[in-house]
Amino acid sequence: MVPAIALVLLGCVAAFSAPAAQKVFPYEYDQHDFPNGLRLITIPTDYPNVVSLYIVVQAGSRNEVEPGKSGFAHLFEHMMFRGTPTYPPAKYEATLQKAGAASNAYTTDDHTAYHTTFSKEDLETILGMEADRFQNLSYSEEDFKTETRAVLGEYNKNSANPASKLYEVLRDTAFDRHTYKHTTMGFLKDIEDMPNQYEYSRLFFDRYYRPEYTTIILAGDVNPATARALVEKYWGAWKRGSYRPEIPAEPAQQGPRKNHIQWPTETLPWIAIAHRGPAYSDQQKDQPALDLISFLGFSESSDLYQKLVIQEQKVDVFGADTPDRVDPYLFTVLARVKKPADLDSVRDDILTTLAEFKDKPVDPERLDKVKKHLRYSFALAMNNSEAIASIVARYVALRRTPETINRLYAVYDSITPEDIQAVAKKYFNENNRTIVTLTGGNAQ
Amino acid sequence: MRTALIPAVLLASASLWGASGPQLVTMPGKSPLVTFRFVFLTGSASDPAGKEGAAALTAAMMAEAGTRDMTYKQIVDALFPMAASVSRQVDKEMITFSGTTHVDNLQAYYKIFRDMLLSPGWRKEDFERLRDDAVNYLKVTLRGNNDEELGKEVLYTRIYAGHPYGHENTGTIASLQKMTIADLQAFYRANFTRSNLIIGLAGGYPDSFPKQVVSDFSKLPAGPPKAVRLPEPRPPKGVRVTIVEKDTRSVAYSIGFPISVKRGDPDYPALLVAQSYLGQHRMSGGLLFERMRQARGLNYGDYAYIEYFPRGMFQFEPDPNLARRQQIFQIWIRPVEPANAHFALRLALYQLDKFIKEGISEEDFERTRTFLTKYVNLLMKTKNAELGYAIDSRFYGIGDYATYVKTSLAKLTREDVNRAIRKHLRTTDLDIVAVAKDAAGLKKQLVSGEPSPVTYVSPKPKEILEEDKIVERWKIDVRPEAVTIIPVEQVF
Repeated sequence: MVPAIALVLLGCVAAFSAPAAQKVFPYEYDQHDFPNGLRLITIPTDYPNVVSLYIVVQAGSRNEVEPGKSGFAHLFEHMMFRGTPTYPPAKYEATLQKAGAASNAYTTDDHTAYHTTFSKEDLETILGMEADRFQNLSYSEEDFKTETRAVLGEYNKNSANPASKLYEVLRDTAFDRHTYKHTTMGFLKDIEDMPNQYEYSRLFFDRYYRPEYTTIILAGDVNPATARALVEKYWGAWKRGSYRPEIPAEPAQQGPRKNHIQWPTETLPWIAIAHRGPAYSDQQKDQPALDLISFLGFSESSDLYQKLVIQEQKVDVFGADTPDRVDPYLFTVLARVKKPADLDSVRDDILTTLAEFKDKPVDPERLDKVKKHLRYSFALAMNNSEAIASIVARYVALRRTPETINRLYAVYDSITPEDIQAVAKKYFNENNRTIVTLTGGNAQ
Repeated sequence: MRTALIPAVLLASASLWGASGPQLVTMPGKSPLVTFRFVFLTGSASDPAGKEGAAALTAAMMAEAGTRDMTYKQIVDALFPMAASVSRQVDKEMITFSGTTHVDNLQAYYKIFRDMLLSPGWRKEDFERLRDDAVNYLKVTLRGNNDEELGKEVLYTRIYAGHPYGHENTGTIASLQKMTIADLQAFYRANFTRSNLIIGLAGGYPDSFPKQVVSDFSKLPAGPPKAVRLPEPRPPKGVRVTIVEKDTRSVAYSIGFPISVKRGDPDYPALLVAQSYLGQHRMSGGLLFERMRQARGLNYGDYAYIEYFPRGMFQFEPDPNLARRQQIFQIWIRPVEPANAHFALRLALYQLDKFIKEGISEEDFERTRTFLTKYVNLLMKTKNAELGYAIDSRFYGIGDYATYVKTSLAKLTREDVNRAIRKHLRTTDLDIVAVAKDAAGLKKQLVSGEPSPVTYVSPKPKEILEEDKIVERWKIDVRPEAVTIIPVEQVF
């Protein structure tokens, strides 16, 4: 096992000689499948003493297929802290504390992740305790109802931000059938009804908290053989499930859509221009090409950013994102505009820039700079074991292996100006577009 | 940890900068990444009267604007392929510029970074953009989008009214609108001196690199070290309440009072244990979290602090280089439903009161001490953070922070903690800030002292219901004249 931060990308300098590989994910790792379907990925790093554990369940708000059940994956993330017969919540917390552990969890559209970072001597304790809650979670209806109010509290604290509302309405407008129509938080009416959904919460656990949906990532001062043995010991008896959700496919969009939010108090206007995009892929060029376009056209170094933010100073928040999702999602350009009167001209500038990607190939030199930026960004982000585990978790949620990172960056490398043009022509069409605006106070 | 605190004078000839040259903290290593932290011992506490926000806007003009030789666009274009940037952080007594580059790009990145700090361009268009950003941060981001951070920052302005810490670091809208480039240049000349500078370097830089950096930054004017005189803050008599009125779904609270304890002081380790037990930031093991969220579902979380910790809703660990000579004790109650707002406040103060009177048990003490002894390692998981903590340790006059925490916790006893909490914590002579829609209604409840029973969506254990009977009548002695309602448009 080569601890490999020194063997990083791009040839490096003489002091870090002889890179063994040009892979963007430079760590050697051990990937092991257990008979019950559980996967373990162990990544020894050269950061001493600390181990970071990420447990990724491939179920998120995408899996909330029944009407009225939006927000359930996230609620369930909360329920996972409600204890088992062996580890009631107080004992669970005390054990984490004795390990000096930092522990939390998050939910996204496609996955839920439980993460704990701790001293290496506590590896067995933590793995054993986590195995217990994934297999033996047990909570009363009273505890369930209490926790639903904490979720409402979370919705409330987010609700002060107009950008949260903008995304909520954008998704609701852009999608008709797919579960990406709702945010991970869920619709407010569903959150308010959560106290009545105890039985469904048990069903959700039974369906998705199963080994075949779960990948354990260990990064840090950890030995792969030890990790395998411990996971076998504590997680080996976990029973495989059989449920497969039917996620409704989204029909092709038939025409442009728009929506407007009138924010009750004074705030700066927002505009989101979204086009239906592809799903994540480490083979096809579509999604990686859209990633490159988001930097070429809308990052800090882009011409349009320079025009709107630096020179004309009409906009103070600007960018594009095209998140990696299991199913086809959205390519979104977002701007916060300083004056309501400029909303239309900002919209037109964004649309013109999108059209330019269709009209002519991009400058190859600029494309190379973006590719370089992506590689260095990736290298700079992996600056501790927790960060490494966290990055791997995002990709494991999509393809269950860190190797997808190397494949993705190989696709980036292969993309030509002509590919960019072809992808722009495929996706940046009016029939594929949703525009949502938000204005506050008296502005219309 | 290989922390080398090297006086700059050992690295090059003294004639380059004199005895008051920049201090240097280095952590050489084999990583292909090189991290910089330039920390100036100045900040918003040094803003001249009427020029609130000068420190922050000057720092912005250094980190997010052109230099004498390059426009901001040229800088962005040059840094983009390196995926590198320069970050700034401004607090009362420290201004930090930090960044990380791959060693491949070390010289190109450093040259730009250096020029940003040593030769700012002071262009009018950069100034206008950054002043707009500052005004919008106060008007839109703080007032409009984040009730929790709003409450916390208003709390500091109340506690430190009339004190150099008394304004939000960004400034005030009125002062920003009057600010000129000349004001910022004056601030720059007076405060960005080499005697105010600590340079932190970590990672795989060449051996000769620190000397080059020290030599370059020794060109800053010497200037006398500027420590602003800080009067003792004067807490209110009794309970003072500020209600920020705005259209919002729920009620967010921040509660606090000044404490005379900072890192390095005898009672710091004891209060560190106390705040961790009461409410370790964003963790579910704290007493307040357990009683308010876990047992009752009142909100998303409840935490306690003995050091300034901004942006807590976005991060789990505090940023280093927010060191201050004066700190407050603070409780953060995340937004609660308006119907439960009075009860939630009573519950938080009741728990604090009970904690002060009963103290920490031996078992809880041991568990919390063990936690902190190990957790301190996680605070320094990146080189950037490790450098930041080493620089803070210089400020506070302590050694390596992790060693300081571990050795002082090892000597600590339960009795030390219980004595310290009785000495430093209290439930009166404090400020409460609430962000709420129905400010008049909340004031009426608080002043009346009427019972505030809570209703739940599910049956609760007897122990909780019995505690509720005490809490719903818990006396918070709020006199009508001690309550101020401020429309949100009028804060900052």
